Amino acid sequence: MKAKTSHSLIALSTTALALPGIAIADAPPVESTLSYKISNYKEDDLDREESPFGDLGRYDIDVHQFQLITPIGRDFSLQIDANYEDLSGASPWFTTLGPDGSPVVNLSGASGIQDRRAELSIGSRYYLENGSIGGNIGYSEEDDYRATYGSLSGERHFNNDLTTVSIGMSYSADDIFPVDAEIFGRVVSENKSSTSAVINISQIINQVSTAQVALSVTQQAGFLTDPYKLRDTRPDEKTQIAVSTSYRRYIRSADAAWHVNYRYYDDDFGVSSQTIDMSWHQNLGRRFQLIPTLRYYSQSAANFFTNVDNFLRPETELQSSDYRLSAFGAVSGGLSFKANMGNWTTTLTAERYIANDKYSAHEVQLPSTALVKYFRVSAGVDFSF
Amino acid sequence: MARYLKPLLLLLVLTNMVACTQVQPWQRGILAKEEMAWKADPLESALNDHIFFSKEASSGGSSAAGGGCGCN
Repeated sequence: MKAKTSHSLIALSTTALALPGIAIADAPPVESTLSYKISNYKEDDLDREESPFGDLGRYDIDVHQFQLITPIGRDFSLQIDANYEDLSGASPWFTTLGPDGSPVVNLSGASGIQDRRAELSIGSRYYLENGSIGGNIGYSEEDDYRATYGSLSGERHFNNDLTTVSIGMSYSADDIFPVDAEIFGRVVSENKSSTSAVINISQIINQVSTAQVALSVTQQAGFLTDPYKLRDTRPDEKTQIAVSTSYRRYIRSADAAWHVNYRYYDDDFGVSSQTIDMSWHQNLGRRFQLIPTLRYYSQSAANFFTNVDNFLRPETELQSSDYRLSAFGAVSGGLSFKANMGNWTTTLTAERYIANDKYSAHEVQLPSTALVKYFRVSAGVDFSF
Repeated sequence: MARYLKPLLLLLVLTNMVACTQVQPWQRGILAKEEMAWKADPLESALNDHIFFSKEASSGGSSAAGGGCGCN
C-alpha cells in the first residue's frame, strides 16, 4: 500500500513537472526524443489560360526534418534540429496582359529551378525554480541564399504558476547571391537582416483549458526585392506586427482536445491579414489519435502590388507582381493519424491548401494570377528513450 | 473589415483571460496531456510555419522569427 502511494506521488510530481510552462518548477524533459518527418509538397500546375507560354509545372519539394531533444544533467536540455529540402519546378517570372485583356503569368525558364536547402540549429535551455532561459544558433544554406541566425528567450511563472510570461528576441543575417546573375542581369550579391522580438503570456483558466496571447514585432532591412522577377522593386525596410491568441480546451465527454488560434497581422508594405485555425485532437482508445484541422487566411494587397508588370516605369519606382503581395484568401484542411506504440509514435498527415482571390475578406482591386494550390503528405516517427 | 476584427480580437483575449480559477498542481493532469500542448506536434508546426511563411505575406505571432530562406 505504501509503495502504491509513493508511485502515485511520483506520477503526480512527474505530471506537474512535465507541464510546459505551467509547472511549479521548470525542469528539463524527463527523457530524450528523436524525431524524423518526411514530407512531399506539390503545387498544382497552372492552367494554359493562366500561362500561355512555357512550362506549367510548379514547385515539387521533398522535405526531411530531424530533431533531437535531450536532458543534460538536472538543469539543462539540448535541442538539435536539422532540415533538408530538395526542390524542383518553376516560379512566376513576370506578368503581362493576355489576349483577352486579363493578366497572365510567365514562369521561370523551361527547365525550371533545381535547388537544395540544408539547415542546422542547436539550442540549449537552463531551468530555474520559476522559469527558464535558453537560446539557439542556426545556419541555413541554398545555392543562392545563406542565413545565419540566433535567438534568446526567457520565461517566468507568476500567480501561483497559473500565469507564464515569456519574452524572446532573434536576429538573422542573410546573404543573397542569385544564380545566372550576369546572364539575366540580376543583382550579384546582396544582403538583408531581420530582428524580431516577442512577448507571450499564457494563462491556466481551469483544469481543462488554457489561453495564450502574444505580440511579435519584426524589423527587416536590406534587399527585400525578389531578384528572380523580371521587374520587382520593393522598399528596403519593413516592419511587421502580429498579435495572436490561442485557446486549448479538453472535452472530457469526447476524450478530445480542441485547439483554436487567431492572428492579426499588419506591416508597412500595406499588407494586413487575419488567420484563424482550429484542430480537434480525438483520442481513439489509449494508442491512437485522429486530428482534423481547418485554417482560413485572408490578406490585403501591398501598396505597390500590380497584377501586370509595367516595364515603362523607372526601375526605381516600387512595384511587384508577386502573387504573395496580392489580396487573396486561402482555405486549407488536413487530417493526421497518430499511433503510439510504447516508445514509438508514428504520424501520417495529408493536407490540401487552396488560395483564391474570391476567398479574400479584404477588398481585391487587382486579382492576381498564379495563386497557389498545393497538396502535402507527411510521415513522421518519434522515438523516446 | 479590419476595423471590426480588432475589437473582436480584444474580445477574444478578454474572454480567454476572465473566469480563471485556482488550479493546484495535482489538478493539472489534463493540462499536461500531449494533445493540450501549445504545439502538440513540433515538427508539423515548424513545417506549416515554413510553408505559410513562403506562400503568404504574413509571418510572426507566438514566437520570434528564425532564419530567412530564399523561398521568400
